[in-house]
Amino acid sequence: MAAIRFDKVQKYFGRGDKRTQALSDIDLEIRDREFLAIVGPSGCGKTTCLRLVAGFEATSEGVVSVAGRPVTEPGPDRAVVFQQFALFPWKTVRGNIDLGLRNKGMGAEERMKRIADVLKLMNLETHADAFPHQLSGGMQQRVAIARAYVLDPEVLLMDEPFGALDAQTRVVMQEELVRLARVRPRTVLFITHAVDEAVYLADRIAVMTRRPGRIKEIIDIKSMREAEKWDRFERIEDVMDLDSFVHLRTRIWKSLREEKDG
Amino acid sequence: MAWRRNLVGLATVSALALAWYVATSATGLVSGGRFPSPTDTFAAYRQISGRGYADGTLLAHALHSLRLVAMGFAVAVATGVPLGLLMGWSRKAEALVNPVFLLIRPIPPLAWIPLAILWLGLGDAAKIMVIWFAAVVPAVINSFAGVRAVERPLLEAARMLGTPPWRFITEVLTPAASPMIFTGLRLSLQASWTTLVAAELVGALFGLGRVLNLAQQDIYPGMILVGMLAVGLCGWLTTGLLALGEARMLAWNQAEAKPAR
Amino acid sequence: MDRKLPRSEAIGLGVLGLAGFIGLWEALSFLGIVPSQFLPSPFAVVSRFLHLFTEPFAGFTLLQHLGSSLLRYLYGVLLAAILGIPLGLAMGWFRLLDDIVTPIFNGLRFIAPIAWVPFAALWFGTGIGGPIMIIFAGAFPPCLINAYRGARFVEPRLIEAARMLGTGDRRILTEILLPASVPSIVAGVRVAAGLGWQSLVGAELIVASAGVGFMMVQAQASVQTTTVMAGMVAIGLTGLLIDVALRHGEVWLHHRLGLD
Repeated sequence: MAAIRFDKVQKYFGRGDKRTQALSDIDLEIRDREFLAIVGPSGCGKTTCLRLVAGFEATSEGVVSVAGRPVTEPGPDRAVVFQQFALFPWKTVRGNIDLGLRNKGMGAEERMKRIADVLKLMNLETHADAFPHQLSGGMQQRVAIARAYVLDPEVLLMDEPFGALDAQTRVVMQEELVRLARVRPRTVLFITHAVDEAVYLADRIAVMTRRPGRIKEIIDIKSMREAEKWDRFERIEDVMDLDSFVHLRTRIWKSLREEKDG
Repeated sequence: MAWRRNLVGLATVSALALAWYVATSATGLVSGGRFPSPTDTFAAYRQISGRGYADGTLLAHALHSLRLVAMGFAVAVATGVPLGLLMGWSRKAEALVNPVFLLIRPIPPLAWIPLAILWLGLGDAAKIMVIWFAAVVPAVINSFAGVRAVERPLLEAARMLGTPPWRFITEVLTPAASPMIFTGLRLSLQASWTTLVAAELVGALFGLGRVLNLAQQDIYPGMILVGMLAVGLCGWLTTGLLALGEARMLAWNQAEAKPAR
Repeated sequence: MDRKLPRSEAIGLGVLGLAGFIGLWEALSFLGIVPSQFLPSPFAVVSRFLHLFTEPFAGFTLLQHLGSSLLRYLYGVLLAAILGIPLGLAMGWFRLLDDIVTPIFNGLRFIAPIAWVPFAALWFGTGIGGPIMIIFAGAFPPCLINAYRGARFVEPRLIEAARMLGTGDRRILTEILLPASVPSIVAGVRVAAGLGWQSLVGAELIVASAGVGFMMVQAQASVQTTTVMAGMVAIGLTGLLIDVALRHGEVWLHHRLGLD
C-alpha cells in the first residue's frame, strides 16, 4: 500500500475570474519508508503538494490519501517541519516537543522517556530547558525535527526545512538528516528548490513543471546511490564530487532549466 | 554616558524645585492663591494625612480610587481580551460584532459619565461602568490585533500537533498574542485612571477626584497639588505593577525587547 | 483562523449584528423593561438629535454648542502642536535638551490630563482658557513624543550617506532630518487630535458654560436622557469625522512626499 498517494489531484486558488490553477493532474505514489523529494521552479506548487498531504489545504478535485485514508485535516500522523521552524517561543525546547505527546493523551512517564530519547537522537540534551530565542537557527530546526519525530508519525513532511539556514549549517543539517533517515527510516516528503540537496537526500526525485504544476518526471536516485555506494562517505563534499552524483544533478538541472526558460 | 544623563536630570529637577520655591515663597512672584508654594503643599499634605480632608485621609481616598480602578480594569480585561481574541480568530465573529463596535468606539469614554450618573447615581457602580467603557476598547482592539499578528506557521504547527481547542486557546493562541495583549492592557490601565479621575471630578462622595473637586471649590491650591501628585503616584505604581507582570510573562520575548517611553 | 469571508457574507453578518443590537435596545425600551426615562428608544434619540439642530437647549442649539466645543478644541490642539512639535524635534536632535526635558516629562506623565481641571477652574473659571488648558494637556504629549521619535530614530544610514556626500550640518537638518521626521509627526498629530477631543469632553463636563459636554451635564441634571444620548451621538460623530479627515490627510501627505 502506498504511504502517500495523489490521485488525479487538481488545485485551484481564488474565485471567479481571479481563479488560478496551482496544480494540474497530479498522480503520484510515495512508497512506505521512501524519501521522496519534489523539486521545481518557484511557485510551481510543490509546497502546495505538501500542504495537501498535511491537511492545511483541500484538493479542488481528486484525493490525497495516506496509508489508504483520505486526508481531511492536519494531524500528528503527518508531522510537518516548517521552513521558519514554527517553534512556540514561549515554550522551552522540552515544552515544544512535549505538546504533541500531551495532545495524544500520553502519560507523563512515557512522555519523559520519549522526549529523552529524541533529545539524545538530535543532540539537544544540553539545551532541553532553553527557549527558542536562545538557540541558533540550526538548533531550532533540530528541535522542530525532534518535535516531529517524537510523534512517531506515519509520514514526515518537510517544507524547505533548511531554507532559512546559512550555508554551513545547512550542510551539517543535511548530513544529520541522512544519518537520521538511515537510523530511523520513515516515509518522507521533502520539498526543496536546491537540487544537490535533493540528490543527496532522496530515494526518488519528482520534478515539477512551472505553474500550473504537473509532475514532469520522476528520477530514481536510490539505485544509483546504492550501486555507487555513496554511503561509504561521511562528508557531503565527498559524495558531491562523485561522477554519478554530478551526472544526476546535471540531469535534473537541465530538466528544471527547461521549465525556467519555458 | 548614563551618569551624565542622570546628572543633568538631577540638576534640572533641583533647578525646578528651587525655582518653585523662589517663585512662590521667597519672592511671591506667583501668588499663593494661584499656585501653592512648597510649604503650602506640605501643609496640605499634613492635613490630609492627619486630620483628613473630604471625610478621609489621603490613604483612604487613594485606596478607594485604586480599588475602583482595579475592579473596572479587571472587568474590562476579563471581557475585552476574550472578545478581542474571538474576533481575531473567527472572521464570522468579527463581521458580526464589528459594526456595533465601530458605532460605540468613537464615543469618548468620558462622554459616558452623564449617562452613567443617570443610570447608576453617584456611587461606585457608575464609576466602574464608565471605566469599563473606557478600558474595554483598547483591550479588544489589541487582543484582536494580537491574534491577527500571529504567524501562520505557528498556528498550523499547533494544528498539525493535534492540539485540542481549549489547549489551543490557552497554550498557543493567547501566549502568541500576549505581547500585543499587554500593549492593550497598558492602554486600558491609562484609560481607567483618566476615566476614574474624571468621573470622580464630575461627582463623587469619596476618592482622589473628590479631594480635587472639594479643594477646587474651597480654593485650596495646596490640596489640589497634593491630589494631583497622589493621582500621579497611584498611576505610576499601578503601571509599574503591570510592567512587572508583563516582564515575567513575556520573558521569552527577549528577541524583541523594545525601549519603553 | 478561518478564511476571509466573501464580501456579501461579511456585510450580511454585520447588518445582522447591528440590527440585533438596535433591536435589543428598542425592545428593552419599548417593552418597558428599562423605563424610557433611562433608556429612550433609538428612534427617540435620533429624533432628539435632529431636533437639537434647531431647538436650543441650555441656551444654544446643538450646532452652536458644537461650534463652541470645536473652537476650544482647535485652539488647544494647535497650541499643543506649535509647542510640542518643535520641542520634540529639538529634543531628538540635541541630546542635552533631551536630558533636561525628559525627567520633567517622565515625572508629569502619570498625571492624567484631566487632573489639571481643578487648577484650570481656579485660574480660568468657566472661561475659554480652562478647556483649552486641558485639551493642551491631553494633546501635548503625543505631539512631543512623536516629534522626538521622528527626529531621534532617523535611519542612521541616511545620515551616513548624506555625510559621505559632503552635506553640511544645516542642510542635514533641513533636508534630511526634518523630512524624515514628518511621518512620525503627522501620526503624532492624529493621535493628539484624538486625545485632545477626549480631554475636551472631560473638561466641558466640569468647567464650561457652553459646548456639547456642558449641554450633556445640564441634560443629566434635569434627567433629559434623550438629550444626553443625543449629545453622545454628536460627540462621537464629530470625533469620528475629525479622525477620518486626519487619516485621509495623512495618506495624502504620504503620497505627496513619496513615502509609499
